Amino acid sequence: MLEAVEVLSARMAQTESQTDEAGLIRAAQKGDQDAFERLVRSYDHSVLRVAMNLLRSPDEARDVYQEAFLKVYRNLHTFRFDCSFHTWLYRIVTNICLDHLRRRKVRREESTVVETSEGVVDRMSQLEEGAPHADPERQMWNRQLGGKIDQALESLTPRERAVFELRHYEGLRLRAIGEMIGTTEEAAKNCLFRATQKMRASLEAFV
Amino acid sequence: MNCNEVVREIPPYCYGEVSPAIEETLEAHLADCPACTRELAKHRKFLTRMDERAEMPDTGMLASCRTDLRTAISRVPAPVATNWLESFRNLWQLNIPFRVPVGAMALVALGFFAARVTPERFGGMKAGLSEPMFSNVRSVEPDASGQVRISVDEVHRRMVSGALGDANIQQLLLEAAREENNPGVRVESIGLLKNNVDSEEVRNALLDALTRDQNPGVRLKALEGLRPYAGNKDVRKTLASVLVKDENAGVRVQAIDLLTTHRDDSIVGALQNALQYEDNTYVRAQCERLLAEMKASVGTY
Ligand SMILES: [Zn+2]
Repeated sequence: MLEAVEVLSARMAQTESQTDEAGLIRAAQKGDQDAFERLVRSYDHSVLRVAMNLLRSPDEARDVYQEAFLKVYRNLHTFRFDCSFHTWLYRIVTNICLDHLRRRKVRREESTVVETSEGVVDRMSQLEEGAPHADPERQMWNRQLGGKIDQALESLTPRERAVFELRHYEGLRLRAIGEMIGTTEEAAKNCLFRATQKMRASLEAFV
Repeated sequence: MNCNEVVREIPPYCYGEVSPAIEETLEAHLADCPACTRELAKHRKFLTRMDERAEMPDTGMLASCRTDLRTAISRVPAPVATNWLESFRNLWQLNIPFRVPVGAMALVALGFFAARVTPERFGGMKAGLSEPMFSNVRSVEPDASGQVRISVDEVHRRMVSGALGDANIQQLLLEAAREENNPGVRVESIGLLKNNVDSEEVRNALLDALTRDQNPGVRLKALEGLRPYAGNKDVRKTLASVLVKDENAGVRVQAIDLLTTHRDDSIVGALQNALQYEDNTYVRAQCERLLAEMKASVGTY
């Protein structure tokens, strides 16, 4: 009897964080603002990171953050626990990022090089701030590589880029990525292959 | 496994995403193939380089995002699910079978409109409120005295029937076409609406669905409906933008097919833009053909 109770309590401890989250979601669904904020806080760091990695622009990442959590706020009552909250949230974030990338692609067609070169300058200064003690040679190399990687990423289609970034930086499984962007695991795998081929071709001097 | 097949498996292999069987075959091949081994080393080096480029938002950024979000949310009224509309959505989430038959006479069983549709509005039609169809338990709260309080939603399904040409039916379909959380209802509604494109409102709904709907099935139905209007300037402009922006190759194929039915110099730019990104061979060929017919160059520069 005692043994059974122990097993049970161990199981309960294991699922505690999950039920905790479910409890938060249910409370937030009923309009509990505090619960909603706690829910935001447990995920917003990774949401911002996904957006930063996918878009490589702090301003756009901020926009995605706002857009995504406002959408969550407005639609949380439709969440029915038929997938994990994490999957649901990431699906929202990925789709917003894809929209941004698509718009950017169209904007790029319409505008000239100026915007792109500005962006590169911005990113370079960021890179420097990130590594204040690096030796100058290394810094130079990083700067060149950073610029090249950004260019290589821009050459991908939004979908290829999303698959690569979600797999490489977020460590998500291809199956999960497929679900998020509305495609199969196999298609996500092909997308990943195309993305890495394109990137490696543009980064040939560095890799 | 030959070298080509191995090379295709290398990216998923490096992320630990191949099956044990493939992993075994792949490793056996690598043991005997210097070329593929070099390829694997190169890929790993590429991945390491990419690691160095990971973006980490700083805490200051996170803090300011949180503050901005709080401000934004304070302006939004709290969206608590208490109305009929939500109850209907719950029904849908639970996969209660629900279909709208397609035909000249539309039988529209849109339970969730019960909240919005007044009996007066459908006074002239067959409309009846049936018995509660479904009860959704929203919360269960036991109290200290041993009593339990259960909050239950009752959903009534109202059947509304009328001809497709009927203004009220069309209005319902237009609303259903924008039913955000329900692609099934959107596909059916757009499918029915597309037979009535004479109305400007319907045409606008189709254009709206074509550019905004997340579901490619809905976008394809909208395209079908716009076929008679392929000569219309606004429609063509939208089709050209679909060609540049839509992620779904099937949708782009339909769009280019509609565009090729008419000649129109104002879409030359859009076609040239589309060509820069298009990877579908059929769409590419059609774009090029159309440009050649209009004696325009294939590239912008
Ligand atoms: Zn080989």
